[in-house]
Amino acid sequence: MSLLEVNDLTFRYEDGTPALRGIDFTVEEGEFIALIGQNGSGKTTFAKSLAGLLRPTTGRVVVDGIDTARKGVIKELVRRIGYVFQNPDHQLFNNNVYAEIAYGPRNLGIDDPERDEIVREAAAVAGVREALFTEHPFFLTKGLRQRIAIASTLAMRPKAIIVDEPTTGQDYRQSAEIMNFLTRLWRDEGHTIIIVTHEMPIVAAYAQRVVALCEGRILLDGTTRDVFARPDELRRTFVKPPQVTRLAQAWGDPAIPSDVITVEELVDGAVSSIAGRSSHSPAGISPGAEPASPRGPGREV
Amino acid sequence: MNAIELNGVTWRYEHAEEPALVDVNLAISEGEFVLVIGPNEAGKTTLVSAIKGLIPNAITGVLKGDVLVFGDRVESIKPPVLAKQIGFVFADPESQFTALTVEEEIVFGLENVGWPRETIGERVEWAARITGVEDLLDKPPYDISGGQKQRVAIASVIAMQPRILILDEPTAMIDPLGKDLVVRICAELKNDHDMTIVVVEHNIEAFAPLADKVVMVNEGRVERIAPPREIFRDLDHLLARDVHPPQVTQVFGRLRERGLYHGELPLSDEEGFAGWRTLLDGAAR
Repeated sequence: MSLLEVNDLTFRYEDGTPALRGIDFTVEEGEFIALIGQNGSGKTTFAKSLAGLLRPTTGRVVVDGIDTARKGVIKELVRRIGYVFQNPDHQLFNNNVYAEIAYGPRNLGIDDPERDEIVREAAAVAGVREALFTEHPFFLTKGLRQRIAIASTLAMRPKAIIVDEPTTGQDYRQSAEIMNFLTRLWRDEGHTIIIVTHEMPIVAAYAQRVVALCEGRILLDGTTRDVFARPDELRRTFVKPPQVTRLAQAWGDPAIPSDVITVEELVDGAVSSIAGRSSHSPAGISPGAEPASPRGPGREV
Repeated sequence: MNAIELNGVTWRYEHAEEPALVDVNLAISEGEFVLVIGPNEAGKTTLVSAIKGLIPNAITGVLKGDVLVFGDRVESIKPPVLAKQIGFVFADPESQFTALTVEEEIVFGLENVGWPRETIGERVEWAARITGVEDLLDKPPYDISGGQKQRVAIASVIAMQPRILILDEPTAMIDPLGKDLVVRICAELKNDHDMTIVVVEHNIEAFAPLADKVVMVNEGRVERIAPPREIFRDLDHLLARDVHPPQVTQVFGRLRERGLYHGELPLSDEEGFAGWRTLLDGAAR
């Protein structure tokens, strides 16, 4: 059984606007997925449907064996999948950090001392120091508020965590901190991670699988490299692959893989291409150049 | 005369122990496009707030040095005059909305400075055309997408036709198409309307090709002011401060370090394409 199984999911808002127009989708435990797409593509509606926050208009969403449309399953669901809102302030409402993290387990009827243990563990994993437990969340930085939101989600011990736009409005350092943290949850704690994002460098650096939505349907679904290597379809989602991927595709050099996603990979490809060309012209290359990288064979000119 | 001049500006927010700006000297000529970069908390927003006179007029603290706008000390310029000289767009467009429709939002500033009715009509049309919000004029500004909100915010600011436009992280909160449109608007304002533009952005890739000058801010100090191709030469210095030049610039910078590339550092996809041709011509020779 897959962790998430979605069959022919459609969703219409109350005013009749269709947001999802028939989605089939499967997630295995332990995946790290990025949902991408233009505003209005349906990606947040889809993510909320996966977490059971929205009920399908038609079709089915099954989370670890639980159909999200069944009545009274919310307590079952929150132990399986958590949703962290883009704006942590939309979900933080308690007067102090400890109460915030303890809120979920309290609702699930878990009592101390077990609850206290869960709270401290979730806080530790999310990097929320116990010294902050008595603070009011609103007086902390956005990065910390987001960690608290994640800690309160972790306190329900879900298998999968969906984070909506984890890095929006953050600078590079803060983004890297959050993404490295999600990577630790994924790699060390065994959580399945799904992020919703517009930031392609983040997708390239962290996600294993990319799902691109367009007009309420899945347009592309594959490994990060595969998806970025398909610029024509991506263009329909108004998403551009990372600049290095675009360059590799524009250059069309046989020695440079068209699915590079980092600066280093493109530099390696370029160096090996140049080395291949200049092997016939001894004057063409400086002594500082490295030999052809194992990724791409040198090219005969 | 410079459009903007900062001479020895040091600023400490009230109750703060450390100054947020330390001995900042900066001159921006009329018509220049300036990109301000640096890590969060470096002082970038404080710097542009000082240019707009929000510091010291609206925010309390201790200011040393002079901020001059077209030669006059900014705190001495009367608000209606300053409003025509400098427009300011925030990262979060909703923070500046006050009206019930997009059109009223754009009209608001114009009415405040008392333009005649026909001028107001022309200005609204002009601003709406450049920002592509003509079809949204009768909508409530809260009921449109994030990218549209940001374009409405820009429209309401440029409707005043300020000589200087400051944008503080204008693409931080919006989706890829929205980001592209904001960049295109900035390009048009620079190329066709000679506005002096100061943009604070983490999205360096999008704005570097437009920039005449890049200002690197770190720990309250202006560390460097130089054209983008020059400032991005110090790749390791910038990466160590978590400032990432465009990937195309990084790639050619690395190739240059290895002695494989000798031309100018490219800033855009197009320049990267041309740079690769140049490089291969050199290697094949």
